[in-house]
Amino acid sequence: MNNNLKTLREERGWTQGALADQLGVSRQTVNALETGRYDPALPLAFRIAHLFGRPIEAIFIPAPEDVRGQ
Amino acid sequence: MTSNLDSREPSATDRATKRAYKREFVPGIVAYILILSAALIWGDLDGNSPARFVWAIVPVLPMVWVAIAVLRHIRRVDEYQRFLLLQGLGVGFALAMVASLTVGLLDVAGLSIPGSAWIVYAVGMLGWLVTAQVSARR
Repeated sequence: MNNNLKTLREERGWTQGALADQLGVSRQTVNALETGRYDPALPLAFRIAHLFGRPIEAIFIPAPEDVRGQ
Repeated sequence: MTSNLDSREPSATDRATKRAYKREFVPGIVAYILILSAALIWGDLDGNSPARFVWAIVPVLPMVWVAIAVLRHIRRVDEYQRFLLLQGLGVGFALAMVASLTVGLLDVAGLSIPGSAWIVYAVGMLGWLVTAQVSARR
């Protein structure tokens, strides 16, 4: 899954640590999310969406293989 | 180009989590080292006193404390950190099981390895620590 978390964070002038604190996660987790190494569970995805004031699907973009079978 | 937005400084959440872990983990390890030292010095572990069995078991008590500290840490961290921790524990457990099976089968075949329990312990711990270090660097 792809996402534009890094763009959204940088638009607001936040460091990974600052975003991590607002989400209640570690900086390493934010880094893993931004680099696509980790996809969040729904509660964290909703927290991210709420923080940026956007729907989840505007932040996380599924890769073709994520929606295969539809 | 890097900017201050690319800072790799730990977040306040990271620091708070690490502090809480140290607060619970360190007393257990310190107690373990002290009790183990006392057992090795005064426990007469290779002697004949029946009390040596008690001395041999007593260092396990602070390790129960340490195990509880690790479990509490796993419950405290976020979902990705938990995934990394459990990955490390999983690798350590799998390697310990393989080591245990290896020395067990060798024992059945007549090759008894002295201190084999320590080998299993060391392999498991090493697997956990190496996996945790590799995960932390990613």
